[in-house]
Amino acid sequence: MKLGLTRAAVLLAILPAFAFNVLVHAQRGGRGGPPPTPRAAAPFDLSGQWVSLITEDWRHRQFTPSKGDYAPLPLSPAARKLADGWDPAKDEAAGEQCKAYGAAGLMRLPIRMRVAWQDDTTLKLETDAGTQTRMFYFGAPQGNGGDWQGLSAARWDAPQAPFAGRGGGSPSGGSLKVVTTRMKPGYLRKNGVPYGENAVLTEYFDRFDVAGGDALLVVTSEVVDPEHLATPYWTSQQFKRETGTAGWNPTPCAAR
Amino acid sequence: MKSVRGLVCAGLALLCVTLRGQAPQIPTATPGQAPAVDLGGYWAPVLHEDLMERGAGSELADYGGFPLNEAGRLWALSYDPSRVTLRHHQCEAYLAPYQMRALGNFRIWEEREEHTQRLVAIHIWAQTTEGHRVIWMDRRPHPPAWAPHTFRGFSTGQFVGNALVVRTTHMKNGALRRGNGVPQSDQATLTEFFVRHGEHLTNTTVVADPVFLAEPIVRSNDFYRQPVDPGSWLYACDDGEQILDRPKDDVPHYAFGKQPYAREFAARYKLPLASSLLGGVTMYPELAARLRTVTDAEANALFAPARGRAPETSKGVDPEPRDGNIHIWPVRDNVYMLVGDGGNIVVQTGDQGAFVVDTGEGKLSEKVVAAIRSLTSRPIQFIANTNFRPEHTGGNAALGAAGQDPSLPGSFFLLQSPRGVTGFFGDPLTQATMLAHANVQVRMQAAGAPAAAVPADTYLEDRRRKFHNGDAIELFHQPKAVTDGDSLVYFRRADVIVAGDIFTTTQYPVIDVKNGGSVQGLILALNNILDKTVYRHQGEGGTYIVPAHGYVADEHEVLEYRDMVVIVRDRVTTLIDAGATLPQVKAARVTADYDTQFGANTGAWTTEMFVEAVYTSLKAAPAKR
Repeated sequence: MKLGLTRAAVLLAILPAFAFNVLVHAQRGGRGGPPPTPRAAAPFDLSGQWVSLITEDWRHRQFTPSKGDYAPLPLSPAARKLADGWDPAKDEAAGEQCKAYGAAGLMRLPIRMRVAWQDDTTLKLETDAGTQTRMFYFGAPQGNGGDWQGLSAARWDAPQAPFAGRGGGSPSGGSLKVVTTRMKPGYLRKNGVPYGENAVLTEYFDRFDVAGGDALLVVTSEVVDPEHLATPYWTSQQFKRETGTAGWNPTPCAAR
Repeated sequence: MKSVRGLVCAGLALLCVTLRGQAPQIPTATPGQAPAVDLGGYWAPVLHEDLMERGAGSELADYGGFPLNEAGRLWALSYDPSRVTLRHHQCEAYLAPYQMRALGNFRIWEEREEHTQRLVAIHIWAQTTEGHRVIWMDRRPHPPAWAPHTFRGFSTGQFVGNALVVRTTHMKNGALRRGNGVPQSDQATLTEFFVRHGEHLTNTTVVADPVFLAEPIVRSNDFYRQPVDPGSWLYACDDGEQILDRPKDDVPHYAFGKQPYAREFAARYKLPLASSLLGGVTMYPELAARLRTVTDAEANALFAPARGRAPETSKGVDPEPRDGNIHIWPVRDNVYMLVGDGGNIVVQTGDQGAFVVDTGEGKLSEKVVAAIRSLTSRPIQFIANTNFRPEHTGGNAALGAAGQDPSLPGSFFLLQSPRGVTGFFGDPLTQATMLAHANVQVRMQAAGAPAAAVPADTYLEDRRRKFHNGDAIELFHQPKAVTDGDSLVYFRRADVIVAGDIFTTTQYPVIDVKNGGSVQGLILALNNILDKTVYRHQGEGGTYIVPAHGYVADEHEVLEYRDMVVIVRDRVTTLIDAGATLPQVKAARVTADYDTQFGANTGAWTTEMFVEAVYTSLKAAPAKR
C-alpha cells in the first residue's frame, strides 16, 4: 500500500512534466514538428537602432585619410598599387561613390544602423550613412550578389566545445555569425584601400549588457582576400544601442 | 524503490531541460562552475587597429575617440612625455585596460581548487610589463575603498552566455592611452567581455571614469591563438636616473595653453584644430556636424581651462566608511590601519605593546581601543603623532589613558619626569608614552590641549629612532610641510611609512601656513618619502604608505601626488612672476585638471584654500627655478 501511494505520487509529479515537455517540444519544433525558426532561436535581441562608437583607428574612420595612409592594413603589393591610384573624382564620375560602403568597409564607418527581422529567417540591417541595406539569410541566400553588400549567410554560432569531458558548464548563448561573399569590389578604407570580388567577410555579432541599462554590440570581422591582403584582416567594431530614433540621418554615399 | 527514484529524477530533469529551452535567456554560470568557454592557452594580439598607439606611441594631442571631460583634456595637454625619464616613472606597469592592448604574448590559464576542482580564478599573464591579472571566479567580494590599488586592479568574473564578464576596481592612476597623456584615474572601473570565436578571442573593454571621462569608453582587442608556447614572457625593468643633477622637484609638464606640439596633430593630417579635443562627440557620427559649427575662438579655448567656472569637486568615492565603526585593514606583517575616526590610524602590535601612530578625531576612541585590543592583548605603549592637527591627535587622551608604558615603572628616567612636577603632561605611569616632534607639543599647548593629550616625549632633530616589537621605527621630521612639526613614521622591517597629512589619496594637501607649513616643504616631504620607497615589481608594491585619508598606497600614488603639487606650484609661480594677485591666480583655475579628483568647494579644506596656501607660501619664499 505504501509502495502504491509512492508510485501514485511519483506519477503525479512526473506526468505534468512529460505533458509540458510534449507541449513545448511541439511549439519549438520537436519530433514531428518544425525546428525553431532562427528568430525564435535567437540567443539575444539584435533589433533596434545602434550607433557606432568610433574609439579605435579614430582618425582613419572619422575622416578620409590621405592617399598612402594605409597603416596597419596588411596590403599586398597589388593592393598598394591600386590604392596609390585612388582618385575619388574618378569614382564620382563613374557613379561609384559607394565603394567604401560595401559590406567589408561599411561597419567601420561612423553610422547608425537599424536591425530588424524581415521574416523568421532574414535579418535586415540598414545604415543611415550611405543608405545601405544588408540582408542576413539564415536559410538559402536570395539573389546572386555582385552588389556592394554581396550575399550574407547567417547562423547562430554556439561556443565551440573544446571543454568536452571537463565536466559542468554546457555551452550557452552564442554569436551571430555572418559570412558574406560575392561582394562588388570596394574599399576597406575610404582612401581607396581595395578588396576584391573574391573577398570573404566573416563577422561575429555579440551583444553585451552593461551597467546602467546600456547594450553594446561588438562586431568582430575577418576579411580574407589573398589578392589584396597578405594576411586576414581582423578588426572589431563597437555599437551602442539607442532607445529612440533620434540621430538617424540618411545620407548618400560620399567618395571623399 | 530504485526505479521510482530514477523516474522522479528523470521527470525533474526533463522538466528542467524543458524550461531551460523556453526563452532566449542568457544563462549565468554558478560560482566555481567549469567555464562555458575555454580561454586557456597562448594568445597573440592582432594589431590591425590603433597600431600607432600600440607601437611607437600615440601622437600628442590626438585625443579623438576619447570622451574626455575638461579635466581629462587639460591633464593630457599638460602631460610632457619626458616625465617618464623621472626614475620613479620608468618602470610603471600598464593599467588593466591598456594591458589588454599591449604588444607581446599573452597566456591564460585556470586555477582550480585541488580537491573539488572548482574554478577559483582565471589568470592572464601579459609579457609586456609582466602584467599578471587574476580574475577571481569564486564570487569573493571586492575590497573596501581603503584597500590598496594596483595597476591591474581587483577583478572578479562570471560566465554569462558565451562570454566571460569581468569587473575590475581598485586600479591606480595611469594612462588610458599610451604615450600622450590621456589619463585614467584611480576611481575608474573596468567591465570586460571575453568571447572566443574558434581560434580568435575578442576582449571588449568598457572603462567608466567619473574623474576624467564624460561617459564610458568602449574598445575591443583581438587575439589569435598560438599553438605552441612562444617562450617569451619576461620584461625586466629597473630604473635609474637619466639626467644627473636634475632637481627632485622638477616634473616635466606644460603650462595650460603652452603645449608647443598641441597643434601639430591637426595640422599634419589637415584636420580641424578642434577635431580631437571635443571629447565625447568625437566618438559619434555627429562629429562632422559639430566640427562645422566650431569657431576658431572655441577651438583655441580648448587648450586652457574655461574661464569663469567654479572649481569642479571630487568625483571619487568617499573612502571613509562613516558607519560609526572602526575598520581594520592589515597593511603588512604586524602593522594595521584603522579607518573610521577621521584621519587613518596605524597600529603595530607585538610582545612589547602596541605602537600607535595618530589617534584620529577622538569621536570613536572607545571603538578604536576595542579594535586595537582585538589585535593584541598587550597595552598601548607608544603613541606617535604625525602632526598636531585634531584629526590626528583627537584620540590622544582616550587612547593614552587606555595604554600604559611598562618600561617606566622602576625606571631611572622616570625620576626625571615625575608626575605632577610640570602639570603639562599626563601621568607616564598610567598611560601610553606619546612621541612627536617638539613643535607638536608647542602647538598643542598653545592651543590649550589637555595635558593628557599632549606628547611628552619629543624630539628636536631630524630623526628619532626606536626599536620596538622587532622592528626599527624611525620618525623623520619634515619641517615646513603641512605644519612645522610633521613627522613621517617609518616601520623599516614591515616597510610601511605613515605619512600623516603630507599625503592623502582624496584631497589636496593641507598646507597650514599659519602653523609653519609651506608648499616647498610639502614637496620636499613627498620627495623624502620617495627617497625611502622601493617598489616590488614594475613600479608598484614594495613599500606601503599609509595616508592621512584614503587608501593604503605605494610609491606610485605618492609620486603622482608629488607631481600634482609640483605642477600646481609651477603654475602659481608663473602667475606670481607675471604679477598676478591672489584673486587672479584663483580665477586662472590652476588646479582644473585635478579638481575632479581632489577638489572640494565646501568642508574643512577647499580647493581655494589650497591655492591660497600655495600662493601665500610662494609669496613668502619663492620657489627656486
